[in-house]
Amino acid sequence: MYARLIFRNVRRSSKDYLIYLVTLTICVMLFYAFLSISSRYYRPDLGTEYDVTVLSDGMKIAVCAVALLLLFLIRYVNGYMLKRRQKEFAVESVIGMEAGTVARMFLAETLVMGALSIVLGILLGAVCSQFVTAMLLHDYGQDFELTWTLFPDTALMTAGFFVIIFLLVGGANVRTIKKIRIIDMINAERRNEPPLKKNRFMPVVTLIWLFVLVWMSVSGIRLRYYYFDSRFDVPVHIMFWANILVPAAGALCGAALFASGKRGKQSCVAFECAAAILAAFSNAAVLMMRGPYMLSYDAGIMNKYMLFLLADMLYLICGIVYLSNSGLVSWKEKSPENRYRGTSLFLLGQITSKLAANTKTMILICITLGMAVVLFLISPVLTGWSLGYLDVRSLYDIQISSRYNDVMSEEDLYQGDYEPVTEVLREKGIETAEECTFSLYLPEREEFHSRIKWEFPVAAMSLSDYNGIREMLGYEPVSLGEDEFTTQWQSIASEEEKAEFLTEHQQVGTDAGVLSLAENSCYEEPIGETVYNSYTNVVYIFPDSVCEDLMGVMRNRYIMTERPVPFADAQEIARAFAEVYPEDPGESGSGEGMRDTGMQYTIRLNTLQVNSLLANNFMLKAVMTYGGIVLMVICLTVLSLQQLLDASQYRYRFSVLRSLGVEEREIRRLVFRQLGVWFGLPVALALVISCVVVAGFIQTFSAEISAYIGAETLLMQLGITVLILAMLLVCYFISTWILFRRAVGEAQ
Amino acid sequence: MKEILTLEHIQKFYGNEGNITEALRDISFSVCEGEFLGIMGASGSGKTTLLNCISTIDTVSAGHIYLGGKDVTEIREKELARFRRENLGFVFQDFNLLDTLTVSENIALALAVSKTPAHEVEPAVRAMAAKLDISGILDKYPYQISGGQKQRCACARAMINHPKLILADEPTGALDSHSAQMLLSTLESMNREMKATILMVTHDAFSASYAGRILFLRDGEIFAEIVKGKNTRKAFFEKILDVLTMMGGGGSDVRQTDF
Repeated sequence: MYARLIFRNVRRSSKDYLIYLVTLTICVMLFYAFLSISSRYYRPDLGTEYDVTVLSDGMKIAVCAVALLLLFLIRYVNGYMLKRRQKEFAVESVIGMEAGTVARMFLAETLVMGALSIVLGILLGAVCSQFVTAMLLHDYGQDFELTWTLFPDTALMTAGFFVIIFLLVGGANVRTIKKIRIIDMINAERRNEPPLKKNRFMPVVTLIWLFVLVWMSVSGIRLRYYYFDSRFDVPVHIMFWANILVPAAGALCGAALFASGKRGKQSCVAFECAAAILAAFSNAAVLMMRGPYMLSYDAGIMNKYMLFLLADMLYLICGIVYLSNSGLVSWKEKSPENRYRGTSLFLLGQITSKLAANTKTMILICITLGMAVVLFLISPVLTGWSLGYLDVRSLYDIQISSRYNDVMSEEDLYQGDYEPVTEVLREKGIETAEECTFSLYLPEREEFHSRIKWEFPVAAMSLSDYNGIREMLGYEPVSLGEDEFTTQWQSIASEEEKAEFLTEHQQVGTDAGVLSLAENSCYEEPIGETVYNSYTNVVYIFPDSVCEDLMGVMRNRYIMTERPVPFADAQEIARAFAEVYPEDPGESGSGEGMRDTGMQYTIRLNTLQVNSLLANNFMLKAVMTYGGIVLMVICLTVLSLQQLLDASQYRYRFSVLRSLGVEEREIRRLVFRQLGVWFGLPVALALVISCVVVAGFIQTFSAEISAYIGAETLLMQLGITVLILAMLLVCYFISTWILFRRAVGEAQ
Repeated sequence: MKEILTLEHIQKFYGNEGNITEALRDISFSVCEGEFLGIMGASGSGKTTLLNCISTIDTVSAGHIYLGGKDVTEIREKELARFRRENLGFVFQDFNLLDTLTVSENIALALAVSKTPAHEVEPAVRAMAAKLDISGILDKYPYQISGGQKQRCACARAMINHPKLILADEPTGALDSHSAQMLLSTLESMNREMKATILMVTHDAFSASYAGRILFLRDGEIFAEIVKGKNTRKAFFEKILDVLTMMGGGGSDVRQTDF
């Protein structure tokens, strides 16, 4: 009997919760598809130089972490179902069913629906995993062939993961049902929520925000105390002061308004929103001015200000949603001519009756949706950046370099030819096609001790070494007259930077005399980033005769091999190198005079770099795409369910409207407007906020973006992403609209 | 007096060829302006079907219904909403108030949907509330007031547009005897003082005794018709009981109430 009741309820619920079921199925499908890469049975044909095991462990953790977000969705929908069904539970209790039985029946119902979506999701996931594999093979530069496989371990893990989530939420539901009194169940649907102004949410959020402002102000004072220098430019002065004064003013005035009993009132929230906007600009300035003005605070400070920026945004979202909602209420109260125009009164009633709960949901949705959009938009930037960077960084099969940053004595500088590497290569049977070992010099010996960040000297290399490298990379050799020099630039350097440098350095003084700038003064082909000295984007090319008299401070060796180095051999070469040459200046290597000299050595093997980069890149892309879709789908589902699950109430309300003689056309318009408000506000706000974040991000990293990705490619990728997001949104909106209209129309 | 509602040979059938239920069989009557007409009958006698046909919620199988001279059976689907809005007011057994709006907003909604200028809305609502004695609860939500108050609010909403006809479907059905009595007095005063034409469907003899004329339905036909005339309500009540007894099983529809 109970089983029949459960199945009948499931059948009835599945109509109401269709969107929820579809979303769950999509989530299970994506979970399975992305997790399939970590399966023991997953063996894509990538060749000997690639290894996917690095990928699998990371993927497993990342996919599960993102999927935990689903807990929120499932909890939310279950909470809603519980509320809607309370009257039914009351009837069941009244006829003598025990609370435990009622609760367990509800649990069984949700489990049956969950099981349905798990099975469907895994089956669809097997199809979808083909896309993931195609994406993986494309990233590794391989051809894709369609193969149908169902990985038992992944399927088991997917099922296990979701069953645990359902049981967790179900357990919580059972507890809730057991606690509710029958009389409360009976009356559950009757009451409206308390009005928004009496809700404590916003006062609490504002109070927390005031504390954040105090913290921000104190941090501003510390920042100025430790890092300020009166020689900085005016904008930097403003930035330091703004980070103290803006939060302090916000906190003080906010506290005064709060104490004067206006807490949570519109004026206080509006003032704090303005403070949040100003604070956001001040905080962003800390992040954006560090590079151009060479400010010396570390990553910790950067992270802290990024956190502040996030706090600014979060408060701003809460504030704007609250203000627009409470503004709506006051507008309704103050403007009878709008209130009594046609069916506006009905629409306003529909909206205001749910304002308190919906404000919270809308804020949450806005934040989550914003995160999803940012994830979507930034993912092509990050992956494009690292792929483009790979082209610049990994030009040689083996790239050995050194740094003198911690070397105190000139005798400690390394001048060898990295012979142990030659031996290892011979042992492994790896043949060298081309190679070049060369020194990087300081134009003037006295610059050796310039170690402050912005005083690091530009290094120089000899013309013959430079041409040797160019030949290895297939570029034309260059020539120089006697007493002439030219420059080679990193791709990240901007045009202004180059022009400014070249104007200032028409002549360069060296230990071997003064050199003047050649006619061809600037070369930009990528030749690897280890030829540049730390914190510089340029290297001088001097005639060989000049370099003979200069002090060599760094020693590099670039090798091209006949065939790609296999993954296992590459790992062994890297290990063997690290044993002899210390990577960390504090360590002592076992090689020729490698004792604690302060020299840093680095080996970069193309195979390893490409491997780890492709793996990380793929993981980044996969997790960001997966996370973005899951967040987006969760938001849209909640938005849509919020409306659909109340359809029973709405059906009654719209039938009253009909009996009052309101035309069907007007009712359709009302439905559209109501959905428009609940969908439109959070989506629009999330879009604005995420556009600001993405624009800030692109602005901050504009040099890297134009160097490694290219503005056009990026714009196209962003365009495609935005299009996909818009399509998702439109799909959800239209299906909600249709389902809603059907639900409301059933009254006829 | 001027006839406001006229029904001519109304028939309503349900079902298909093999199994036809005749809900209404050839009903004709008319209602004059300012009249308070009661329609009584047992469950299944066709009184709600009749009300639905008059209110244009349902269609007739044959016959004509004229409201204010216009044949409602000929009105096109698209124009029905407007017709209802302009000519009819409803009072339902389950109040049909919107829980998202306050009492005053519920009343105002009827004015707003009929496109009354905004500045006229609030004075009209207040005036109507004063007449029906609900001024004190205008800012309350439906879940905060009693059933009787809800029904008076529904009456105010029905009256506010000054419709040609007010249709009340078992208006006391969900009320206790005291609230029912108060509501009936309200309806009576609406009829007497505001000259509202009311058509009330009920199966309760006491409620029906407030009407000026009563039609008794049985098996989809008019079984009897009685007029209050100069009678007191008590005498009229006795007459109603007599008719019910004649129809059979009328005793169960008697409510013990003091007159």
